[in-house]
Amino acid sequence: MATRMKLKLKTVFVLYFMVSLLGLVYALMQLGQRCDCSEHDLPKDRTISRLRGELHRLQEQMRKSDATKQPQKQPAKPTVFVITPTYARLVQKAELTRLSQTFLHVPQLHWIVVEDSPHKTPLVTDLLVKSGLTYTHLHMLTAKDRKLQEGDPSWLKPRGVEQRNEGLRWLREDRRAQPGGDNQQGVVYFADDDNTYSLQIFEEMRSTQRVSVWPVGLVGGMKYERPVVEGGKVVRFHTGWRPSRPFPMDMAGFAVSLKLVLANPEACFDGEAPMGFLESSFLQGLVTMDELEPKADNCSKVLVWHTRTEKPKMKREEALQAQGLGSDRAVEV
Amino acid sequence: MPKRRDIVAIVLIVLPWTLLITVWHQSAITPLLATRKDDRRDGRSKSRNTFAFKESCSLQNRDIVEVVRTEYVYSRPPPWSDTLPTIHVVTPTYSRPVQKAELTRLANTLLHVPNLHWILVEDSQRRSTLVSRLLQETAVNYTHLNVETPRNYKVRGDTRDPRIPRGTIQRNLALRWLRESYRVNSSQPGIVYFADDDNTYSLELFEEMRSTKKVSVWPVAFVGGLRYESPKVNTLGKVYGWKTVFDPHRPFAIDMAGFAVNLRLILSKPQAYFKLRGVKGGYQESSLLKELVTLSDLEPKAANCTKVLVWHTRTEKPVLVNEGKKGFTDSNVEI
Repeated sequence: MATRMKLKLKTVFVLYFMVSLLGLVYALMQLGQRCDCSEHDLPKDRTISRLRGELHRLQEQMRKSDATKQPQKQPAKPTVFVITPTYARLVQKAELTRLSQTFLHVPQLHWIVVEDSPHKTPLVTDLLVKSGLTYTHLHMLTAKDRKLQEGDPSWLKPRGVEQRNEGLRWLREDRRAQPGGDNQQGVVYFADDDNTYSLQIFEEMRSTQRVSVWPVGLVGGMKYERPVVEGGKVVRFHTGWRPSRPFPMDMAGFAVSLKLVLANPEACFDGEAPMGFLESSFLQGLVTMDELEPKADNCSKVLVWHTRTEKPKMKREEALQAQGLGSDRAVEV
Repeated sequence: MPKRRDIVAIVLIVLPWTLLITVWHQSAITPLLATRKDDRRDGRSKSRNTFAFKESCSLQNRDIVEVVRTEYVYSRPPPWSDTLPTIHVVTPTYSRPVQKAELTRLANTLLHVPNLHWILVEDSQRRSTLVSRLLQETAVNYTHLNVETPRNYKVRGDTRDPRIPRGTIQRNLALRWLRESYRVNSSQPGIVYFADDDNTYSLELFEEMRSTKKVSVWPVAFVGGLRYESPKVNTLGKVYGWKTVFDPHRPFAIDMAGFAVNLRLILSKPQAYFKLRGVKGGYQESSLLKELVTLSDLEPKAANCTKVLVWHTRTEKPVLVNEGKKGFTDSNVEI
């Protein structure tokens, strides 16, 4: 019995051994050759390998950028404080959305949004949270008699005065508590929510020592308004409308250094000022014309535009609402 | 001893098999481990400042005023990904005072979107320096085309004549360029979106449209005289109609900004273009879409068409009264 088993086992063993040896040799030969990948080309495997490669690349990039981050961190850029008054109307969310998309490209920017409202609205609150920006959300209601009514032309009453002043007030209060006191680096800019800003303007204004100025496009009934610069100093203003104003320029055409704002705690916008004198009411107490710093290549380039957005036509909506069939109010627009 | 021999025999039988199996296993894994070193578009991305992403909240006790600090990671433009489908944004544009402003803020928006290819088509005889320079400076991934609308098709004066579709020839040129530049069987996935230069787009919109298989749709604000127009979506998630007042019986009662098409569909139907002549007001979009897809094929996005992610804003024409006849300002300064 044992011998028969041994014999059987021997043949089985020999057979096994030969087969496996042959298989091994075959496999080793296959290893040296190029694998025919189309057979193994499951789409999942491909995606996995691509994702791995991408992850590797992105990690490399992050490591590279981390390395360059350290030397850059030391001289911190002066923060640009942007004060934007806003009020509820149909295009508000759209305007603030595209404004935030521009600001997201600007490093060291602090957005101060002041709503013309008795309380913070959820629309603006949610937008700011999702924006990814450094922000402060304030609100200040304009008194009824100062507010523009339906059908009033836009130039009848000055807009955003109380809101900008509230922004200034908060800024002064917040900054006073910071280390460095009145010597803090920073620039204050008043940006309305319907204008268009290029990214260069923020870099231009960062170096403001007192008040810097630059041209503004599509304002004052002209293609652009600008300060006229001679010998590196502003000598007069090129504008088609009331050039005799102390500072005949638009809100978007100047920026004030934080130091100056903190050093003059009484400087604010005067709501009683005649039309077009709003900017002057603020700047008069701060600076004289020859102290102005011209930017944007000696005020020869237009880097900000005073665009205005049309009021969307709501004829059909109003007709539907009269019938009680207006669009779903729960959907935020 | 028979016992020892048996053991030896068993071991000698098992050993080559295990070797064989390990060898096969190894050879199957090696192609997977090979990573592709594809550094496409690395030269284009000019990364300016990058910060690590961290969030910290500091509460001020007075006035419940929060200062929320979020340091955002960004580089201009975002690094190109090999797995995300490319979004080809077709924007027709024409020269007018607000053109540079509109294109600037649109570019600022598009710079946040990864894998974006901007196809800007000018309505002009030749490519203007204004647009060329703008595109070069923004560093967005772009293609600059131009085709002039023949005079008899142009909008006459200031009146909005809906029978003359604006931007049609330019969009058709972009479609033709896409068909000439990409082959149907190429594996590069892409989405085509028609974005006018005065609308407002949220960043969420671009991520919603990236998963388009054929044609996807979503609501658009401020069109058709309503707060928003949107497709009607049933409980099964299929589009069955249009929630609009202005001619809701159009085949596709949707605005140009309310849909996106998968590139493969565009390439596989080379005859599909926007119809130029004899198109009634509001039927422009239908003239293209009816050649591409049926109502039941539409994919609703934006939470089953309940969120508004794009606004059909229009910019006021600036008052240039003080320029006078001769032009008060220096015409060499570009605006």
